[in-house]
Amino acid sequence: MNSLHETYRRPLFPRGPGLGFRTFVLSAISLALIFHDQRSDNLQAVRESLAVALTPLVWVASMPSRLLDAAGDINLRETLQTENEHLKDALLKQEVRLQKMDALAAENRRLRELLASAAQLEDQVLIAEIVAINQDPYRHQITLNKGSRNGIYRGQALVDAHGVMGQVVEIAPYSSKALLITDPNHGIPVEVNRTGLQTIAVGRGDERGLRLPFLPSNADIQVGDLLVSSSLGGRFPSGYPVGEVYEVKHVAGEHFMEAYARPRARLNQGRQALLVWSESYPVGGDPPEETAEEAVPADAATTP
Amino acid sequence: MNTRNLYLGFIVSMLLALLLQLVPLPDWLGAARPLWPALFLAYWALREPRISTLFSGFVTGLALDVLFGTVLGQHALGLVLVVYFVERLRGIFVLFPLWQATFALIPVWAAYCFLMFWIDGSTQHQANVWLRWLPVLSTTLFWPLVFSVMELLRQAPEDE
Repeated sequence: MNSLHETYRRPLFPRGPGLGFRTFVLSAISLALIFHDQRSDNLQAVRESLAVALTPLVWVASMPSRLLDAAGDINLRETLQTENEHLKDALLKQEVRLQKMDALAAENRRLRELLASAAQLEDQVLIAEIVAINQDPYRHQITLNKGSRNGIYRGQALVDAHGVMGQVVEIAPYSSKALLITDPNHGIPVEVNRTGLQTIAVGRGDERGLRLPFLPSNADIQVGDLLVSSSLGGRFPSGYPVGEVYEVKHVAGEHFMEAYARPRARLNQGRQALLVWSESYPVGGDPPEETAEEAVPADAATTP
Repeated sequence: MNTRNLYLGFIVSMLLALLLQLVPLPDWLGAARPLWPALFLAYWALREPRISTLFSGFVTGLALDVLFGTVLGQHALGLVLVVYFVERLRGIFVLFPLWQATFALIPVWAAYCFLMFWIDGSTQHQANVWLRWLPVLSTTLFWPLVFSVMELLRQAPEDE
């Protein structure tokens, strides 16, 4: 009695290339892709079109957390009231600071005019929503809902209300991927606010934040120093807070010392981020063809 | 089960695997996420000689590479090799009871994790963390579950 279904029988003499050969060919293709992708940017277009095709999947996968968020938004009257009061307080404080800021900005502009400098104080910005977080625990990447159609370019800086978050590394028409400053592949030029010391902050790939390697052993840097972004390299706009030093380590017998910093930006909180146009477009990135309508010119007061 | 249903089931299960890989988990759990696509592909490679799991593995791997922003081809290579080993050793696996097959598959998951780790390393993604081996454990624990559930789902329509 033959209980096997007709189609279960495997042919005695299989036709076509064998399993080993097919595996070999596919592995060879994979290896070629790996080498090619590592060396050049030619595969970026393929990657982008695949990313567009896979967008529905990402959207479905983010549904559970979105639903949870929506459920969390249902608030009691009391909580809303207290929150409202807090926000009013905060607004009042900010307004007081802003008044001072206006005066300072005007003064700064006058001084800059005296110095005939072209630097702008305010940058053009665009708000983007964080739609997904890379679920690979060893890569610190986020996906944003703004893409090349909004004038985003590769290498564009990303900030939140507290400091620099990272930069855009990959663009699709309606979404983009950004690398956070804590990714081990990310380095950002920084300046110590207190002394003006220029150095580089590299991500550590975990929750502990940033590392400042190869500081001269007599460098003037202390615990609590604020690091701000520097426009060296032309990628980041200058003057945004990046992190705060929490440890300075002298290694015995080494010529250099290292410092560690905690990022200022709330990297794993919140769903919004600001994309900032820096004054000079980066060397490696593609400048946007035209400025998108949604982009908000921050201030008309640009100095000549 | 006719061929059309079979292919439909296969595609749906692979999409499900990709979704499970993408669903956000808390940080402390994220490192222990089982290798869902590898699990489902291994199941199909083991149970269904009619489907070309090898090529599907390649395509799924490319999708994973795009979704996770890894070097194009990294997951594709890993999944192709997983399918190859499972298909090659199918004759042995079929004879084993489920719990023995569970243990016999551990080297396959470990090899996959090692390959990912190695390619990450050679493409300058430093990732020297012991937690990288956690998926081997969780995948092993999930294998009996995935296997039994898939068997049940596939048996049900056939009995009618």
